[in-house]
Amino acid sequence: MAVTAATAALASGPSPQRRAGLGPWFALAPMLGWLLLFVIVPTLMLIVVSFSERDSLGRVIYSFNIENYLRAFDWKWLKILGISVWYAFLTTVICLILGYPVAYFIGRSSERVRGLLIMLVMIPFWTSFLIRTYAWISILSQEGLLNALLMTLNITSAPIGFMYTPFAVVLGLVYNFLPFMILPIYTSVEKLDGSLIEAAYDLGARPARVFGQIVLPLTKPGIAAGILLVFVPAIAMFAITTLMGGGANPTIGEVIQNQFTKARNQPFGAALGVLLLAIFLFSLWLSTKFRRGEED
Amino acid sequence: MKKQHTKLMAAACAGALLLAGCGKKDDTLKLFCWSEYVPQAVIDKFTEETGIKVSVENYASNEEMLAKLLAGGGAYDLIQPSEYTIQAMTKEGLLQELDQEKIPNLKNIAPEFRNLPYDPGNKYSIPWMAGFVGIVYNAETVTTPIVGFTDVFKPEHAGRIVILDDSREIVSWALATAGIPVNDVSDQNLATITPMLKDWLSKVKVYDSDSPKTAMSNGDTDLGVVWSGEGALLFAENPKFQWVMPAEGVHMFVDNLAIPKTAQNKDKAEAFMNFILRPDISKMISDEFPYYNPNAEARKLLSAEQLNNPASYPPGFDVTKAELFTDIGEQASKVDELITTIKVQ
Repeated sequence: MAVTAATAALASGPSPQRRAGLGPWFALAPMLGWLLLFVIVPTLMLIVVSFSERDSLGRVIYSFNIENYLRAFDWKWLKILGISVWYAFLTTVICLILGYPVAYFIGRSSERVRGLLIMLVMIPFWTSFLIRTYAWISILSQEGLLNALLMTLNITSAPIGFMYTPFAVVLGLVYNFLPFMILPIYTSVEKLDGSLIEAAYDLGARPARVFGQIVLPLTKPGIAAGILLVFVPAIAMFAITTLMGGGANPTIGEVIQNQFTKARNQPFGAALGVLLLAIFLFSLWLSTKFRRGEED
Repeated sequence: MKKQHTKLMAAACAGALLLAGCGKKDDTLKLFCWSEYVPQAVIDKFTEETGIKVSVENYASNEEMLAKLLAGGGAYDLIQPSEYTIQAMTKEGLLQELDQEKIPNLKNIAPEFRNLPYDPGNKYSIPWMAGFVGIVYNAETVTTPIVGFTDVFKPEHAGRIVILDDSREIVSWALATAGIPVNDVSDQNLATITPMLKDWLSKVKVYDSDSPKTAMSNGDTDLGVVWSGEGALLFAENPKFQWVMPAEGVHMFVDNLAIPKTAQNKDKAEAFMNFILRPDISKMISDEFPYYNPNAEARKLLSAEQLNNPASYPPGFDVTKAELFTDIGEQASKVDELITTIKVQ
């Protein structure tokens, strides 16, 4: 909140001292260059390709027609998009429910323990997410570890088909994205002013009220950032959904990947990509609104 | 002044980057090949014997290879396309003619794998490995006889089937079952097989082209329509995984090595081709990836166990009878859309 206030002050008007020379631009140059090269130029290329055609080998023929977009609004692609958004929504909700208490606990523990716990959250990043997903396959498959355990304990008599189900997909997504929910919320919790909480208790508030009126509003920026970091990449994720879901219910990420790697139809893939981008921008706008709301 | 100085600096930096990028001619052999298809030991041995360094980049489908090659990213010296892609690429003049004098080991290739219709006279390509798409089933859980595709997609097998995640392949099985030539993917024929595909795909549990054997060996599926190499690995792991050449018709694929027009190290690429055609090297490939080896001299070195694997070398099967894919151009997109549509229904 302090940061947003500062930015607002900055934006309100140029003060003489703020008019720096080229220095800041030099400092910003690497980031601006990076943004230009790897965000703006590729996005523009995507938009250009999405209005183009392709030849029989899949080479892009630059032209201008909206056919790819017309095709994209067919029910089947929208249904696939709907399923992907649903998976991403479920993933986000579960990550929030599981991640918030963890982040809060880590953020409120002593500094020494905190470092250790945060490291535990980060450790999975040391291994590629693909390898970790393959590990889930050997746990969940019919001849896997979980079924072996359940059958040894006589909980089930026949193996349960966990793999290649929506359950497996959401589990894979939640597992992969949970740290992206914990870390931003943790940052907000860590910055919480403990005296505010003490004051609330001193004034006779019960824990539920302290949480609802003090803790939750103050950690809202972290929640918003976490939701964004989980929801947006989860919609477009294709590797985990293919491996865990078995490809019978393709997600929009899988469909887009197919256009580029199998169907020789980059322009259509690009059009779907642009639509996805529009959804991302919409969720970004929603999340900024959400964060603004807390200032009012 | 200061501004000008900055501009100069920027120009100098850009210049330096460009120089670093293209100043020195790169003499590494750049191999662009399928993932899980070229044993590292073969590459190491090539470098050891010739001193030529090899860099490897992988792809997972012919279309992915085409897209990356045609986008101009990275000048590849050697690529590994399947038969129909060779056909499409030669038609567009994207491959270099081979200097056959530099590839004397081509004589080791069995006559039925030389001079195939997609590349008459092996002007542009040499075969790497061939294989089939067939049926694998777990004989412990499947007790009814399986002879063809219609047996696989029976109601009692619903939810226990893994198939290749490859729209062209899936469509070809339905075409063969309907008695239509597998390369005849006209709109009308696609419409004809749509009801059959809807019925089939509603029973499929897993789509996987990269490693369909995983779902089989993990017990998540009982039947599969998969690459013969995958079937061979499953059979070698446990003979309960039986291999069947589908009665409706068998499609054969032949993967090749070829040199794109944009290659910078043609001599080295040809040296690599000649190297892998050596019987002892070709055997190393067979040891790791048990597909059908078109190299007749290498086959003589294989063990009885390898040759008796019914998925690698189907007994009594005449490879000249198997159908090869031809390029279907833009229809590929329609085939893909048809399969995707059916999947989400």
